[in-house]
Amino acid sequence: MRGYQVVEYPLKAFLQDLQEHSPLSSEDEKAFLALPMRLRHLDAGSYLVREGDIPTHCCILVDGYAFRQKVTGHGSRQILSVCIPGDAIDFQNMFLDISDHAVQLLTRSLVVDIPREALQELVLRRPAIGVAVIHSTLIEASILREWVVNVGRRDARARIAHILCEFAVRLEARGLASRGNFELPMTQEQLADATSLTPVHVNRVLKSLQAEGLINRQRRNIQFTDWRALQEVADFSRRYLHLPGEDDVAVAAM
Amino acid sequence: MSEFHHLEPLVRRWSKRCRFSPDDCDAVRALPYTRRTFGKDAYIVREGEHTTDCTLLLRGFAFRQKLLTDGDRQIISFHIPTEFVDLQNGLLGVADHNVQSLNHSEVASIPRGPLMSLADEHPNIRLAMWIDTLIDSSVFREWVVNVGRRDSRARIAHLLCELVLRLERTGACRDGMFDFPLTQEQLADATGLTAVHTNRTLQSLRRDNLIQLSNGILRVVDWEGLREVGDFDELYLHQQV
Repeated sequence: MRGYQVVEYPLKAFLQDLQEHSPLSSEDEKAFLALPMRLRHLDAGSYLVREGDIPTHCCILVDGYAFRQKVTGHGSRQILSVCIPGDAIDFQNMFLDISDHAVQLLTRSLVVDIPREALQELVLRRPAIGVAVIHSTLIEASILREWVVNVGRRDARARIAHILCEFAVRLEARGLASRGNFELPMTQEQLADATSLTPVHVNRVLKSLQAEGLINRQRRNIQFTDWRALQEVADFSRRYLHLPGEDDVAVAAM
Repeated sequence: MSEFHHLEPLVRRWSKRCRFSPDDCDAVRALPYTRRTFGKDAYIVREGEHTTDCTLLLRGFAFRQKLLTDGDRQIISFHIPTEFVDLQNGLLGVADHNVQSLNHSEVASIPRGPLMSLADEHPNIRLAMWIDTLIDSSVFREWVVNVGRRDSRARIAHLLCELVLRLERTGACRDGMFDFPLTQEQLADATGLTAVHTNRTLQSLRRDNLIQLSNGILRVVDWEGLREVGDFDELYLHQQV
């Protein structure tokens, strides 16, 4: 059912999410939906943007998962964030002239491309849309700050637990998972690159989280069995996600 | 003689980027603000507080940080004069991290209401503000890579390269020389290292004749060498924008 809606109204979910923070008038909404756009199905592993690209389009992930990454001069990869359905992929490139990182798909996905100039013109002409889009890029920035902390100062267990908590809460806020039960679309190698660990270390941590009764894992399906304890291990507070309807206050329990 | 206006450096920085009209410039100058000063390590913004102002740094340095439950600190970015330390709080209602004054600093606190109306009414100003926050994000991304995937020498060298380029733009760094404001503890907290490790790494950069550090002045002796050690590419600073 979700799939049907997605093809019919590819930008509906994105707009809905924007409006959780910043209400838009029906004219704003119409103007947004009237943007020229192209729908594309792409395979896992495809690049949506590469570092150094001069962007001509901005892209929204309608269905599927992606990640942002940078590769160091020595060839090691750092994953910077995970994009979920309804995320803008590279709206920062609307006003930055060169892409400073790459975005690659984790799964086969449906994406919408919007010409950069049309989007620029729209956000400048319609302040409410501009504010809504800025708001979403500010939340992205907040998530990035948390990732600096995660790889900079947390131990391996906390890093992995934190990334699981974040992923679950973000999915749930979009109605894509329920109560700590979700598919994690990442290999252990990708998890390692997101947490600056080795795949072996990631594997060991996942096993120990399971042995301690914090999570249940079956292939890629993850289930939280002790949400409160997992948050504690992760040093996780959802404040930085700035989720709507919580007055930005950290929630004690889910 | 007209009195020096504290927001003038901001007007200059923004108008260069976004081709401000005289009207745009005047609108920024007309913003209400309160000047405040902070001592070393004083908190300018605290995580969890409801935000009422955005803070423009006029003098000195500031840094963003987060504290872990066990008390460990991670510094997330440094800020230099003419930059906002918390522009995101114009739209986000609650501060999601702390901002501390590095040494003695002076700021202009601008109430978020007038600042946001200004952005509403002037597309150029909205764009200038937006680009500030986008460049902040780009720097955060680079810092995830820095603490995540570089070794200790590269982390420190990378941070030094970043400071040099950003300070050169304000004229605070000339011929690769600037007043180095960071303690080794702050340097450690910015690179995810221990203070001891940071000290050892700084020594090794000095021994390799890449930098000199004495009497609080840092001099880059070998810029190309430092860049190479730091795996540094300034693209992420988007200085052309």
